[in-house]
Formats: sequence, C-alpha cells, structure tokens
Amino acid sequence: MDETVAEYIRRTVLKIPRDEIKTMLQKWGFLSETQLQTINFQQMKESISQDVVQLCEENSADIKQAAVLDIIYNHIYPNKRVWSVYQMKKTGEEMEFFDLTDFKKKFKRLLRSALKNVTINFREYEDNAIWIRIAWGTPYTKPNQYKTSYVVYHSQTPYVFISASVLKSNLPLLCQALVVASTYQDIREMELRSHSLNSLKDIVFKRYSQNFQTYYPRPLQERNVAPESDVRIIQESRNEKERIQSVNREVFGDGPQPQLEFAQYKLETMFKSDHKMDILDKKEPFRCLVKFSSPHLLESLKSLAPAGMADAPLSPLLTCIPQKARNYFKIRDKKSFFPGSFVSP
Amino acid sequence: GVFAHLEMLEARASAAAVKQEETELQEEKLARLKARVQELRLQRDELRAKVDLQQNRQLGKEGAVSDLAQPSARAVLEWKIKSVKAMLQIFYLTGISGKLTKRGVCFCISTAYEGAYLDSYHLDLCTKPEVQILRHSIPTFIPLERIAKKYLQTDIRRFLSVLSDHLNAYVGRRYQAEQLQEHFSDQIEGTLQRNSLCNLLVFNYNVSSKSKTFPFNVRLLYGDLCCSLPTEVIVSSTPNAPASLAETAAAHSEVFRRVALHKAFHSFRGAERSVA
Repeated sequence: MDETVAEYIRRTVLKIPRDEIKTMLQKWGFLSETQLQTINFQQMKESISQDVVQLCEENSADIKQAAVLDIIYNHIYPNKRVWSVYQMKKTGEEMEFFDLTDFKKKFKRLLRSALKNVTINFREYEDNAIWIRIAWGTPYTKPNQYKTSYVVYHSQTPYVFISASVLKSNLPLLCQALVVASTYQDIREMELRSHSLNSLKDIVFKRYSQNFQTYYPRPLQERNVAPESDVRIIQESRNEKERIQSVNREVFGDGPQPQLEFAQYKLETMFKSDHKMDILDKKEPFRCLVKFSSPHLLESLKSLAPAGMADAPLSPLLTCIPQKARNYFKIRDKKSFFPGSFVSP
Repeated sequence: GVFAHLEMLEARASAAAVKQEETELQEEKLARLKARVQELRLQRDELRAKVDLQQNRQLGKEGAVSDLAQPSARAVLEWKIKSVKAMLQIFYLTGISGKLTKRGVCFCISTAYEGAYLDSYHLDLCTKPEVQILRHSIPTFIPLERIAKKYLQTDIRRFLSVLSDHLNAYVGRRYQAEQLQEHFSDQIEGTLQRNSLCNLLVFNYNVSSKSKTFPFNVRLLYGDLCCSLPTEVIVSSTPNAPASLAETAAAHSEVFRRVALHKAFHSFRGAERSVA
C-alpha cells in the first residue's frame, strides 16, 4: 500500500471523534467485522489510527477506497466546511430522465479530458443526494488529497452545493463539468453561503416553515389560559407584547429557522447630508459594509423584537433572507424621482 | 387621450373577468358542498331516527317517559363549531382548498394516493395587478415555472388542476417506491436507483423458477409526469437464463405497465405461491 494512502487514512481517522470511529468504519465497509473486532476502540486515538492503517495494509487499500472514508466523514460532519449555492439554468422544455450512470460518466469524462491528475469519487444517499469528492492535481503533480472540493447535487433540481477548496482556479472547470453532466446550459453563483449544508438545502428547496394562511384547522394555541405565575406581577404592556408575537409569527413562521452565520450588506448609496456640510466634493457613493454575524442568525433576528431590542416588524432587508435565498446583498440608490434604495438582483 | 381611455377600459374589463371567474369558482364549490351537506343531513336524520327507535324500545321496556329537554345555548354553539370544523375538513379533503388573503389567495394542495393522505403544498398568490406567485412550498423538481407560464395568467383553474396532477402523481410514484422497499426488500437485489422526481426506477429482483432463483433487471420510465404508472418498461434477464423465463419477463413487463409497483410484486408473490 502506498505511503501517502496510509498517511491519508491515518489522518482521516484522527479527525473522527473517538466514539464515532467504529460506526464510521462499519459504514465504510472496507474492513471486515472480524478485523474491526481486533481493534481496541478504548485506547488513544493515535493508537486506534495506527491499528486501522495496519488492517488497511492487509487489505491493500488504494486511494479510491480511502477517499470513500473521507466522503463518509464529510457527510456526517458537513458543517466543518463552508458551502456555497449555485443555480443552473436551461432553456429547453423537454423533460429529462435523470440517469445516474449517465451523469457520472459525463462528469468524469469532462474533468479527465481537461485534467489528467484528478481523483473523483461518487456516493449516493437515500434522499437523492449525490456527493462528489474531487481531489485536484496539475498536469505535473498527483492529486492533493488534502485540498478537496465537495459537490452535493440533488437530481432534477437546478441547485448545486459546492464546498470549494483553496484552489479556486479549478472552479470554472468544475462548474462546466456539472452543467454538461446534468444537461443544463448555464450556472451562476447565488449569494448564499453557510456552514450548515442542511439549512442551505432547506432554504432553496423551500423546506423551512413558511406561515401560509389556511383554513385547515391547526390546533389552536392556548392563550391566556395558563395561570399567572405570580398575581403580584402585572404585565404592563401585554397588548404590545402580543402584537409583537403575532407579527413575529407571521414573518418567521412557527418552526425552526434555517441556520446561517452571516448576512452581509454592501452599501453603495449616496451619503445624504445637508448641503451646508458638504463632506464629499465629488458625488460618489459612500462605500460601507454592514455585516451581521451570529451562530444562528435567523433565530437571533426572530428574538430581537420579543426581547425589546428592535421594533416589530423588522426591516424587510433582514426578513427577506430565506424568501430571496440570499445572505449577501448590494444596496444601491434607485435612479428615479422616488428617493430610496433597492436591492440588486 | 383615447388610447389611455381604452387601456383603462381594457384593464377594468380584465379585472372584472378575473373577479367573475373567482366568484364562479366559489359558487361552483358552494353548490357542490351544499349538495354534500344535504346528503349528510339525510344520513344524519336516518341515523337519528334509528337512535330514537332504539331509545323508544328501551324506554318502552322500562315503561318510563322522558321529555326532550330544550338544547341549551351552549350546546347549539358547540354544534355550530363542530359543523364549521367539519365543513373546513371537507374543503381540505377535496384536495384543493383556498383562503382569501390581504393580497390575493392562498391555496393548499393536498395529495393522496390509494387512500393514504400524503403531503400538502401551499401557494400564496396575489391577484392585483396580475396573478403572480408570491411564495410557495412546491418542491424544486416539479416544473412549476413551466406550468405557471402556460396557465397561470389565462386559466387559473387549469393551472391548479395541472399542478395538482403533477404533485399527486409524484407522491404516488414516491409512495410506490417506498412501499416496494419496505415490504419487498427480500426480493430486491442491491439498491433501488431512482431520482428526485421518481420518474426513473432501475433495480434488480429475484424470480424463482423450478426451485432456482434468477435475477431480473427492470428499468421503469415514467414519461408522463402526471401519471403514476410507467410509460416504458424494460425487463431483462441474464443471458444464461432458461428460455422459459423470457415469457415470464414479458408477463412481468405487462404487469408493471398496468399495476402499481407494490401491487405488482404482491401479485408475483401470490403467483409463485400458487405455482410452488
């Protein structure tokens, strides 16, 4: 077995939390049950990884099999990477039967025709998600297994989730391969990025809870029926609190919000001041960047009004994030007689 | 000018047309539901008569006479709430229900397949200045834009009907694949290859003949997105299989074309039992 493969497997096992190593090796399926029995999973991780490498040596693992273990790790811990969402477009109206084997063949063919040194692995999951792992090399060097790009694609949808590695130069080639393999015509990057892959999926696949008005009887929430905690405490502004709650519920819905870490607003608006204090000689847009960051941005926005830190309803610039499926905005002045700003598409 | 006036009249006319269409839709629904309410009332009266008869028989035995107490105001209110809830439930069960909102209408399309109630999807539409989809919860692989471009502006009834057909067929195909994996996993070899729309299924399954099992490969293509049965079926066996299996393959192919997936396997199991 290659030295590099052994080292790669050792390092991949070291990344896994100790309690999860056994289950992940079982999912991998490369080592037999009897072989796994021989490993003591209670010892230090360094020793466990050495044992695993030893067994892989016995089975003569190659880089393809080691890559599968990497995919499994990233599938279970996708939040360690930053994911961007891309949208593909096509003009044709014919319905395509998405054939997985066809897709894989076309994708590999296009990448390999442009770049000989590249490792490509596919893995399909129950929810129709196709995971693609690509390790990039150059015409003169072998693929670097530590700088990998990951692509997650759900068939027959126009959205692709890409976690590119540091090597941004390979991105155009990757995009081209995806477009050709999935029989689309064009691809563009949406301004939507996050660590939480599932939240990105929730936003573009519209799986998050939107509050639709229906007559379908939902269980009415009990209001004002719960006994007061302490009769001596008087709620002064109960009406206002209830109004805030109902506005919040209308905007954010009842369920959990998708998890985003940032919202960034790039302002390219004119600085508005009295003419007496002309700070800028030239009429140039005043450049400014506003960035909101949080471990869970949408939940924190949802709790702003009830906590009394902001007025309800919140600015639509903040609340439109899941609806518009973007968290990076450019705000420019509207060039007409109505003063104000608009959000660029 | 004249043109501006004409435009205004045109706009008025189209607004009136949309309104009329909405009212027609409502009236139709109302008529249907009124008929249903009559039906249910008849049923209820019959049942009440039966109950009274039973009670009278009981009382007759005991020889006591009870006077019917006047229903209290609270009981009337409870009955009203119950009947309104039942009415809303009926709306929901028709598959397409809607509620007027500030800006237009919010439709709820509920899907079902073979008596199993499946997912519900929502569409928030605004009706002025023209009919537009504000937000929705339709999955991305359903060709919503295509259907909307064709029908949304011109025939909203048709738009909803076509969309409902697509959604119902999709959940039907998905349901069949899930039932197959749940109840017939012992006959399936390896994994079931499918896609998001569930309109292409490829898998291998075992067929036993003369106490030996042979693998069949089947490829199901669902060309019509509004249909939950395949348009093309290719069943093939391995080259070294006996010739008699070719007939079985053709027979199976026919069954897949006509019958739901899990029901097809149910019939295979039954046929095998009767042969063995």
